[in-house]
Amino acid sequence: MDKQEDMERRLSREQLLKVAAAAGGASLLGGRVDAAHAALDWLNADSGRLQVLDWAGYGNDGGQAMFAQYVKAHPKNKPQFTYMGNESDALAKIHAGLKPDLFRPYVGWVKYFAKSGLVQPWDPKQISNFKHLNPFMVKAGQYKGKQYGIPDDWGFDAILYRSDKVHPKARSWGLLFDERYKGRIAWFDDLNMLTIAGLYLGFDKPWRQTDAQLKKSQKLLKSKKHLVRLIWSSETNLWEAFGSGEVWIAYAWPNDWVQMKKKLKVVYMRPREKPVAWVGMFMLLKGTKRPHLAHAYVNAWSAARSGKWLEDNYGYGHANTLARPSSSDLLKALRLTDPRAVTEPNAHLDRDIPRRALYARMWEEVKAS
Amino acid sequence: MAIADAGSSSQRALRPRRLRLDLTTPTLLGLPLAWLGVFFLVPIAIVAAYSFDVYSLDPGPHGFTLTAWHDFLHSSVYLALFWKSVKLSLTVSAIIVVLAYPLAYYLALSGTKRKYILLLLLIAPFLTSYLLRVLAWKVILGNQGVVNTFLFWTGLRSPDHPLSQLLYSRFAVMLVLGYIWLPFVALPIFVSLESLDRRLLEAASDLGASRLQAFRRVTLPLSLPGVVAAFLFVFIPTLGEFVTPSLVGGTSGYLYGNQIVDLFGTGFPDWETGSVLAIFLLGVVAVLTVVFARFLQPRQVVAD
Repeated sequence: MDKQEDMERRLSREQLLKVAAAAGGASLLGGRVDAAHAALDWLNADSGRLQVLDWAGYGNDGGQAMFAQYVKAHPKNKPQFTYMGNESDALAKIHAGLKPDLFRPYVGWVKYFAKSGLVQPWDPKQISNFKHLNPFMVKAGQYKGKQYGIPDDWGFDAILYRSDKVHPKARSWGLLFDERYKGRIAWFDDLNMLTIAGLYLGFDKPWRQTDAQLKKSQKLLKSKKHLVRLIWSSETNLWEAFGSGEVWIAYAWPNDWVQMKKKLKVVYMRPREKPVAWVGMFMLLKGTKRPHLAHAYVNAWSAARSGKWLEDNYGYGHANTLARPSSSDLLKALRLTDPRAVTEPNAHLDRDIPRRALYARMWEEVKAS
Repeated sequence: MAIADAGSSSQRALRPRRLRLDLTTPTLLGLPLAWLGVFFLVPIAIVAAYSFDVYSLDPGPHGFTLTAWHDFLHSSVYLALFWKSVKLSLTVSAIIVVLAYPLAYYLALSGTKRKYILLLLLIAPFLTSYLLRVLAWKVILGNQGVVNTFLFWTGLRSPDHPLSQLLYSRFAVMLVLGYIWLPFVALPIFVSLESLDRRLLEAASDLGASRLQAFRRVTLPLSLPGVVAAFLFVFIPTLGEFVTPSLVGGTSGYLYGNQIVDLFGTGFPDWETGSVLAIFLLGVVAVLTVVFARFLQPRQVVAD
């Protein structure tokens, strides 16, 4: 009798748990997206602060001077930052429910985001500094005649090496694949490595490689990966490895050169295949509740004073043509007096990769190989 | 009469107790099970749905498909990476079980009065952050780290030729994982050894067994459940590990867990493939756990 009662009680408990689990699961599955969006809406509306999705170093973690003018004018709507590791990370965050007012992909992603329906064009009339921005970069921020991207910071993907340790045979991207420096090379963790491989192999459209070309680029990277000590994804990661002597050659940005030359003998080399130029493009999210604040924020970033600060402190160029750095070295290295510095014949301006998902998969395979 | 009174009073006492049992047991069991359901089973179901493209990150049309699973199972790259991670985890787990056993044996059976102080010292590193413990190894293993500086000082290496394979290598990943997980291995073995009935060892000795024979026939078989549990405690988490490899692994220390992270976030988001990799890992771990769980049953000590 006792056993029978026990059994009945156990069954009823099991049934109860099943019902509870099923109900919880169903409600979660059914309403998860709406609930998450509603919670985020509530948070955004409640704070009333400008929501910025930006790269580390560009928010309250060091980049305050770039938007000081905005904070002064809008002390009650100070920007609130979420950081993005790269454009893919930003895309994942936005898809997962984050609702920034603006964010900063780079020039090669303008078309992708403009077509995605996630963003809306800016109104340049609301940005008083817009007229001072480099016209080549402004054009690169357009899609179907509309200004989807407001250019700001810019720089190059090129090669940084220790001049006391490394003696390149040629000024070429080939230094990243040089067998003599096995274990001393750092690549960048981005599908752009396939573009670089394409440039090195002499393909005329590295951003639009055919299947056969992509296979060759991937084969090159796979065959040279054993030379690579580190595939870096954050600059601090690179600085640590480069600074401690683990790495002598790196795919790098101008800021890395500025930082490393403080204590090491380094050269920032422009390869004969030309460096790849990148331009940061502020993009405005569709349906933003704070479009005026977003325009004011971008205007602050676009000021010549902000540009000079960026050049002096981060070693990047700035789209405002009136901005000039204190260092003549930087002026020369970035060719800041030449408005065509980022485009032909000086550099390849980074561009849209129509088969980005395929490039990404092939790059992941290189890392996993 | 007195007996009847006693009987009825005991029935009165039983009634509310049974009622309380009926309410408390489902509540006590229900909360953790609901927690498990909502925060473990449902998320896994969602990830599984992504792997079949039932859910998708892209707003475009999508529906149930096995494409990502087919691509994964026919991809030499992902499976090779998985195998690389399995080998690394197996090696790390086996080595630290072998290293931790004598340590746990000493703590449990030596009869030292300081065993709980020593145990506390063993788990003291847990008082600091996991990240800090991993990053500390960079200071030790780097080109200008403690090991290389010592080698320069002794003249065994010149500063121009440091031992550079210490950091950003598979070796570094294994070393750091071993260090991190050693206490997790020592503790279950310690518990199984400490609960050992010492009279069995005395009996073995009385029956003429040498200390080695007593260890082989009595101590080791009875502590095996602890050893297997310890092995699993390390093997399962290290198989999906990504933080340590990303900090000290470099190119050669890139593991399966890193690939999952990259597919979900840092690479161009491919949650479909990422989910396939994650569910596959989960499946393998579940199967291994079931298989190993068989060994967790205490074995009998049988005299020949």
